[in-house]
Amino acid sequence: MTDPVLSLEKVSAGYGQSDVIRDIDLEVRAGEIVTLLGPNGAGKTTTLRVISGHVKQSRGTVRLKGRDLAHLSPTQRARAGIAHVPEGRGIFFGLTVAEHLRLGYRGETIDPRVVYTYFPALRELRDRPAGLLSGGEQQMLAVARNLARNPELLLLDELSLGLAPLLVEGLLPVVRDYSRERNCGVLLVEQHVPLALEVADHCYVLSHGDVVLHEPAERLRDDPELLVESYLGGSAAKETLAT
Amino acid sequence: MASQIFAYAIIGLGSGALISGVGLGVVLSYRGSGVINLSTGAIAMLAGYCYWALATGEFGVTFATGWAIVLTLLFSAVVGIVFELGVVRPLRRQPPLAKLVATLGILLSAQAAIVLAFGDTAHPQPSILPGGNVTLFGVTVPDYNLWMAAIILAAALVVVAVYRWTRFGIGTRAAAENEAYATLFGLSPNRYSMGNTVAMALVMGLVGMLAASIAEVDPTTLVLLIVPGLAAAMFGRLTAFTTTYVAGIVIGMAESVLLYLSTQSWFPTSNGGPLPGVDELLVLLVLVVATFFRAGKIPSRGDIVESRLPRAPRPVAPLRTAAVFVPIAALAMWVLPFGFREGLITSCIFAVSLLSLVVVTGYLGQLSLVQLGLAGVAGFLVSHLSTNFGIGFPWAAIVGVAAAAMLGVGFGFPALRVRGVQLAVVTLAATVALETFWFSNGSWGAGVIGASVPAPSLFGFDFGTNASFHGLGGGEPSPLFGWFCLIVLVVVALLVANLRRSRLGQQMLAVRANERAAAATGVNVRNVKLTGFGIAAGIAGVSGVLLSYSYGSITASSFSALIAVALVAFVYITGITSVPGGVFGGLIYSGGIFAFALLDWFGLQGNWLNLIVGFLVVLSLISRPEGGATFLFYGKHPSLWARSPKKAQATRPLSGTAHGGTAHGADERNQHGLAPVEAEVTS
Repeated sequence: MTDPVLSLEKVSAGYGQSDVIRDIDLEVRAGEIVTLLGPNGAGKTTTLRVISGHVKQSRGTVRLKGRDLAHLSPTQRARAGIAHVPEGRGIFFGLTVAEHLRLGYRGETIDPRVVYTYFPALRELRDRPAGLLSGGEQQMLAVARNLARNPELLLLDELSLGLAPLLVEGLLPVVRDYSRERNCGVLLVEQHVPLALEVADHCYVLSHGDVVLHEPAERLRDDPELLVESYLGGSAAKETLAT
Repeated sequence: MASQIFAYAIIGLGSGALISGVGLGVVLSYRGSGVINLSTGAIAMLAGYCYWALATGEFGVTFATGWAIVLTLLFSAVVGIVFELGVVRPLRRQPPLAKLVATLGILLSAQAAIVLAFGDTAHPQPSILPGGNVTLFGVTVPDYNLWMAAIILAAALVVVAVYRWTRFGIGTRAAAENEAYATLFGLSPNRYSMGNTVAMALVMGLVGMLAASIAEVDPTTLVLLIVPGLAAAMFGRLTAFTTTYVAGIVIGMAESVLLYLSTQSWFPTSNGGPLPGVDELLVLLVLVVATFFRAGKIPSRGDIVESRLPRAPRPVAPLRTAAVFVPIAALAMWVLPFGFREGLITSCIFAVSLLSLVVVTGYLGQLSLVQLGLAGVAGFLVSHLSTNFGIGFPWAAIVGVAAAAMLGVGFGFPALRVRGVQLAVVTLAATVALETFWFSNGSWGAGVIGASVPAPSLFGFDFGTNASFHGLGGGEPSPLFGWFCLIVLVVVALLVANLRRSRLGQQMLAVRANERAAAATGVNVRNVKLTGFGIAAGIAGVSGVLLSYSYGSITASSFSALIAVALVAFVYITGITSVPGGVFGGLIYSGGIFAFALLDWFGLQGNWLNLIVGFLVVLSLISRPEGGATFLFYGKHPSLWARSPKKAQATRPLSGTAHGGTAHGADERNQHGLAPVEAEVTS
């Protein structure tokens, strides 16, 4: 079997002295969508930041296609094929849509056709500054710009934040198609659980920095109780059920 | 008359082009790296000297004009690279104020280096432009003015095109908006910063060489061009290249037309000559207007800021410290030979001056470069009250200090709206305007020769510099005056130390940390700021009074903008946030006892000290921002540091508030999250 696109082995990380995530093991394979669920403060965003290098792990290894990322800066990781759409979209309000597609590091080729194939709506908005787009259009641009980089691994943080669920329902299937067609691994952090489970292949649930559940998404779709239990914490869930 | 005004306006194109060029440099620096670069004029001066040296054969080899131009541009690019690697990059996680102070250090060093190498006299240099005349609408003017304006315009247009259409320009704009997001795309903010800094240096190289047509090279003219240059850049909101260009040209033309108007009979005069300093006043006015009405829209940068002003430690037993050091200093006043005694007295006076910076910058968090100007106001009032109205010590001194304090509160009003780096910019212009408009004015100030100040005496007891009591070392100044200065310093130092422990001091620190949070906890930000400015200005006034008594006469040059810059540099390396920082800053200040010792023992001029201190500022901002003396006094008391500065690595989260922020949001940005970002190694 080939190396997974992304693998985390016993990764711990946090801010200052305290760890926010502890001993996380996680894998994302090419062409599959893995979703990372969990209540607020569980460490989902931190996990993504560790992968893209904006938070340093205190222990453990992060590998991209088997290559240890420990000594790579955020810029180098991005160039190695990690595309991270952060909370708050990660686009530049002062740049137009077309300028976003021209933006790139030396030697990078961006294919605007990818953008316009997957998100035809953006074609009409080409010359509009990103700051003047609607929230949904901005999110579309953020995802599109990162798809155009042809990444190995796409990290998506809370696409649904501040958007109408309808918009996200439109976005996620596009990501799904892209991932299959281009063999790109996707790690999706999402608060909107049903949406995430609909497109995901695998699902991890984080709670207070620990992975408390790792199942194929299919199983959780069929058995929502399992998810509730993991969200509330094992014993608490049992008590709730008992009463 | 109309044709005369037209002619002068065209002539003003030349100096306007230089102002525009410096303004462009400021904008390039700001957009590329978020640095408000006060050393652009100094870099232009370095290039000017380089061209002069190459073209006149100062180093033994005379180059043809073309080669000299090429080599000068090369030299400028190297200066840019060194500036980027030595100043901009190490300080990129520092707050905007620290970056600005670092550029002040570079300004100081560059100027000192040039004075040491070539002296402070002006040298004529060959022009790089043809010296023909052109006739426009019946008026004949030298055509190099038009060439200068055209060349700088071309530079501005090239920059605009690069920013709009190239990948580099788009990337620069992206990184300026949000550095963390840029790295997520694999962009390298360091590379953009380097590119812009080099572009800035090249434009400054052009300015330095073009200046040859209208001025001789000297160590101050181009350096101080930063003031009108900043005014132009502020008009362009530190972002718009074309607006900056136009504003610079207009300022240059207006100054030139003012020059013509000053030859008219109706123009206000002073001592037979036309009123001086009107154009500096004009620049100040432009800056004030620009900061009030345009600065609110200066885009803040989405930089990752790690730390802010260093902590202000709580003084431990200030009386005990005073009891140790004061007898030593008092004895030294009596024992030391006159040169050292004079140095010690100057040190005491400048220590007072620096303590005013400790209050306004260290405690209140506002970088004010006008403190020296306020000192000058007090000094000149003392001189005038004494010589013209017969009012002597102590009333003249009291009036002088009170006037400085009131003026300081007046400067506090703009600081209610204008903060941080913009305040530094406005106060720098105010210092220049005070110096030229007031202090150099023949009737109100000292003119060119200086105004005399009678020695202070109380109840017939004379304690001026020429008092009859002499110390062991003999000669003037009298130790009596030294003791007087020492007593004043001790009183001020204890007051400032006590201020830190008082409720007002705590409130000042709260305002410094976060104005909105301070207001939310019930601190009256306005009153605290105005009181702080008033106290600091009063202290500055005290130092001005002492200074005027110590020289026996007072000149405008003692209160120049460059000295104001040097003071900030000195107090930053000893410690801007504590009393020991201010006092030690005075001890090592050029003209003080340490500088005299260097001169006496090693033959090192004060400019060597300035040269070293300028670089030390940058070094100290990187490695020990709290300052040497502060560290010496408080470093061993970890309990005084609520959190050690090394651990204060709070940074912005990826989803920061960079978007739509305003310039004064910059200080608060750090509040929002805690995502340490790994340093980026490559580009």
